[in-house]
Amino acid sequence: MNFKRLTKKTEFYIAVIILAFCLLVQVRSGQFFTGNNIVDLLRSMTIPMMFCVGEMMVLISGGVDCSFPAIASLSMYFVCTKMDGMFDNPLPYFLVAMLLGLCMGAVNGFIVAKFKFPAMIVTLGTSSLFLGIMQGILGSSEYPLTSGLYSLGSTKLLTAVNAKSGLTSDLPVHFAFMIILVILAWLLMNKTMLGRAIYAVGGDEVAAARAGFHVFGTRMFIFCLSGALAGFIGVCRSSMLLTVSPNNMIGMEMDVIAACVLGGVSLIGGRGGIVGAVLGTALMTIVSNSLILLGVSTQWSRVFTGLIIIVGTAVSAIQEQQRKKKLFVTISDKAEVKG
Amino acid sequence: MKKKLLATLMTAVMAATALAGCGGSSGSAGNSTTAAPAAAPADNAGGGSEAAAPAEGGKDYKIAVVVKGNTNGWFIRMNEGIEKWAGETGINAWMTGPTDTDSAQQIQIIQDIINQDIDALCVVPVDPAACEPVLQEAKDKGIVVICHEGSNVENCDYDIEAFNNAGYGAFIMDNLAELMGKKGTYTTMVGFLTTASHNEWADGAVAQQEAQYPDMTLLADLPRVESENNTETAYEKAKEVLKKYPELTGFTGSCSDDTPGIARAINELGLADKVHVVGTGMPNECRELLKNGSLTCITLWDPADAGYAMCELARKCLDGEEIGNGTDLGLPAYDSLQVDESNERLLMGNGFISVTADNVDDYDF
Repeated sequence: MNFKRLTKKTEFYIAVIILAFCLLVQVRSGQFFTGNNIVDLLRSMTIPMMFCVGEMMVLISGGVDCSFPAIASLSMYFVCTKMDGMFDNPLPYFLVAMLLGLCMGAVNGFIVAKFKFPAMIVTLGTSSLFLGIMQGILGSSEYPLTSGLYSLGSTKLLTAVNAKSGLTSDLPVHFAFMIILVILAWLLMNKTMLGRAIYAVGGDEVAAARAGFHVFGTRMFIFCLSGALAGFIGVCRSSMLLTVSPNNMIGMEMDVIAACVLGGVSLIGGRGGIVGAVLGTALMTIVSNSLILLGVSTQWSRVFTGLIIIVGTAVSAIQEQQRKKKLFVTISDKAEVKG
Repeated sequence: MKKKLLATLMTAVMAATALAGCGGSSGSAGNSTTAAPAAAPADNAGGGSEAAAPAEGGKDYKIAVVVKGNTNGWFIRMNEGIEKWAGETGINAWMTGPTDTDSAQQIQIIQDIINQDIDALCVVPVDPAACEPVLQEAKDKGIVVICHEGSNVENCDYDIEAFNNAGYGAFIMDNLAELMGKKGTYTTMVGFLTTASHNEWADGAVAQQEAQYPDMTLLADLPRVESENNTETAYEKAKEVLKKYPELTGFTGSCSDDTPGIARAINELGLADKVHVVGTGMPNECRELLKNGSLTCITLWDPADAGYAMCELARKCLDGEEIGNGTDLGLPAYDSLQVDESNERLLMGNGFISVTADNVDDYDF
């Protein structure tokens, strides 16, 4: 890919913003490019990044899923409390949580795909329903983590030590899960017919159906996948926290959607990609975890975060406008020929 | 057609869940009503048995306690205090509330209860302002209304708080100063800068440090950090603060999510003996951290005592006893109430406790 084409991509500008921000923090604090700080950031990114992968696929298919924190919380809470101490191996917890998440995702998918209700409203509704089940029927409260998941949560990939200050930071094993997930999602979206179907359905449903893609099946698949992923991520989160904290993930949906849009994923579907979503999440995480290093006071931190989001989104919006302008010119040329 | 069918179906599902919710709460209300007289062991000495005396003089009151959510561990613990009081006095007192912390549901429950011939109503309001009309109605019916965690409620006879906020902050600071050897730099963490109680506690801690511990200093560049009521954010922020300000050796935590998050950060950074944290914490959430030494102590108030105190205060009101500075509710935490200077309905105890590895197993919430 030559440089000129690269500069036309949203991802390029997000990467530039990230780099500029990192250098700014480094200059102000001298602490950014230290082993332990990088490890801290990678750790903080793990969970939002995994959620972002799921949300990106839903957005590209033309939907939106606001219920994944609720699905993650309910599946996680169910397996951690009802299966407490049943297995020493963490695998069954993940499998059952994914199965539960898949069922909840199927509810979303069925309503959205079958009746063509707006995905945002449907998933807001089911989100409230799932949280209600967790808080009301299961009576959620803080709960100790089962030993199998506790030992998984204590497993580290590596420990970074800052030679100067002696501070140490651990990178949990979940980071590896995140990397695997990102690679799988990339393969799915770019190398399979199903990935093509997701883009096609999100771009233009009617055209996709005419081209022979199964629209209902694709939508069902995407919501089921998002649900199953949420179940998996929920268990990851509690094992990283080393405690079962049912309300910990509530409210993450907006940050995750914002990260996707920052990375150039279109809210109306059909456009975007895994690289953008990864960069968007990276930017959001780095900003929210560097304001203290940067010396921004607590009172001003929201203003700062808001500005970064607006600047980042503006970059991708301007890119999109330029693309459309070109598209418009060609169409109107044709129209003139016809007239 | 299909959409119509679905809409009907969804309405039915909603109605079913709403009914299930009601069934759940009234069911558990029923349980606690029956459980209350059964729970008889009056093993508490002193104030408890004194309190029992006037009640046996023929008064048979009915006291309902409506809490924020009756499945929440905090209020399950509160129910223990209410049952203990009911057992000691023989008065019918029971706890109820929405299954989920929901203001609208709570108001509905209060509405139902005041139509049921009760003598006193104790409320831990979800949204104090929204409760005013229904509490007004209760007072109009001659019901004694006692609030807890609702210091600005107008339509109540009294609001009882476990402590005054500045006093609790000072208590946190005293514990922290001891761990820090009364010297060093510290900062304060709160849920949000807009959460009034959290900030009053943090202000109280700072005031106590300024008055009592001259060798300690508040971190000037960053005197207050927000955790957004999230353990993970507290953990991340604490790490960042410790990277940026290596001179820092102490934290106070206001929100119950702050303290365990900060403790995990300190531990992971390898600063366990150098940096200390004291603050609000929930025993279940902090049990592991207390036992493995990451946390030395957490501070809180015991909801069981608050439940007991509300019922006892309601009884005193019903019996027409005088209430003011120094009123004794028969518990060490509420043996000498203090009336707020600017609000004569606001009563405060000194009900804060500190929980360490040794006594954390006494608390299950």
